[in-house]
Amino acid sequence: MTTLRKWVLRFGGIASVLVVWEIAGQILGENLFAPPSLVIADYVEMAQEYNLFHELAGSLRQLSLGYLGGCVAGILLGAAMGRSRIVDGLLQPWVSMMFATSIASLVPLFIIFFGFGLAFRVAIVFISAIWYVLLNTYHGARGIDVDLIQTARAFDASRSQTFFKVLLPALYPYILAGMRNGLAHAIRAMVIAEMYVIIGFGGIVYNAGLEVTTAPLIGVLLTVMVVGVILTEALKWLGRKTAPWYEMRQAG
Amino acid sequence: MTRLAQRKELLLFPVSIAGGLALWEMGSRLVPSSLLPPPSAVAMRLLELTADGSLPLALLSSLQHMVIGYLIAVALAVPIGILLGRSPSAATALEPVLNALYAIPPVAFVPFLIVWFGLYMEGRIALVVAMCFFEILINVHQGVKNIDRGLIETAVSFGSRGVPFYRMVILPASMPFIFTGLRVGMGRAVNAMITAELFFAAVNLGEMLKNTGNAFDTASMFAIIVTVSVFGLVCQEGVRQAERLALPWHHREAP
Repeated sequence: MTTLRKWVLRFGGIASVLVVWEIAGQILGENLFAPPSLVIADYVEMAQEYNLFHELAGSLRQLSLGYLGGCVAGILLGAAMGRSRIVDGLLQPWVSMMFATSIASLVPLFIIFFGFGLAFRVAIVFISAIWYVLLNTYHGARGIDVDLIQTARAFDASRSQTFFKVLLPALYPYILAGMRNGLAHAIRAMVIAEMYVIIGFGGIVYNAGLEVTTAPLIGVLLTVMVVGVILTEALKWLGRKTAPWYEMRQAG
Repeated sequence: MTRLAQRKELLLFPVSIAGGLALWEMGSRLVPSSLLPPPSAVAMRLLELTADGSLPLALLSSLQHMVIGYLIAVALAVPIGILLGRSPSAATALEPVLNALYAIPPVAFVPFLIVWFGLYMEGRIALVVAMCFFEILINVHQGVKNIDRGLIETAVSFGSRGVPFYRMVILPASMPFIFTGLRVGMGRAVNAMITAELFFAAVNLGEMLKNTGNAFDTASMFAIIVTVSVFGLVCQEGVRQAERLALPWHHREAP
């Protein structure tokens, strides 16, 4: 497929979805399904009324705390599990269990543990992001070239040197892939937690949903969509910038 | 792997469970039991809730919207996934839109789904569909896209096309990926089951979880959460076993 054809198809796809949405919206009415024209017209007013960007920035700040914590913990645990059969055997059953646990079902429990404040939201995001980073790092560490480690050992590298200078760079592509997965789930978890207790950005989703017209709600949904896409693309860009060999390996 | 190492790993499983429970028990001694109940208390509560029938009954009722939603998601996602996998043009045209929709957290659709489907059964089913659809679609799409070209070209050069081509070449070749999608989607469906009960009108397990939470009865909450998690693992294992039965030729190491 030529690049031109690709772009024509992409734009055609987006344009036709917008057209269908506009027509459907006009027929169904704004109470059921606001058309894009109305969503755009309503957007600025909605953003001011709900203080959208201020709340979003606050929620994302809390998200970044939990997310980065989850990434660090996931990398360390995943690398340890991947490199040691004993650690693997000891942690694996609990990790599978936690991985299968629904984040929403943890929300009421975490409210009792942490209250409604910062700690609660950070903890929910942490617990939702960690397993994706952990499992990706783990699979990377298991499949790592043994020669790499043995060469490091042969040159008398210490354990911490081996970890930081050999293992971590080799795992980097897997860590990035895990972080990308984890980010999507961290955003979901943030919205779940905030909608449940009606604070921050998730609270806006809830309150906008109570309005008679669906225009503000769709505006809020489009906002979180754009934020999610931008953050994911930023991580991808970071990966390409810092680990160009990874893209090549994926393509090949 | 040597047999000794294998035996060692089998031995680690009970050690892991026992060690984790012991740590949990010790940890629970350090804080008020209403905050972190010891595993023994959770096990007791699990037995009580099972014996009086409330937990199995709630789970059974929850199954309804989970199963219906899951089946609708499968019926939608598998054909669309095959279509996208077979037609690069359709995939290129729809991918930006699908990726954008996928970037919206499914729970954020709840206010919308309430407007369309109400607070009860239909709403819950809709959320289950929304939460499983994309996971199944992505797996099926990727799988069909990467079907061995040699296989397709051989079939085409022998004049296979139309419905028989899909039924006898594409479908069997995509089955392993469809099953992966079914398994991942099953995990999401169980997840969506409890999520729906917490975010629409609280019923069944979600209602139990909310009520026990309001009463600070953390032992019951742990019992319910563990039940749902184990149920999710069992369902996924069920799909894996079904795959082994349905596709005996396809041997694959469990990821």
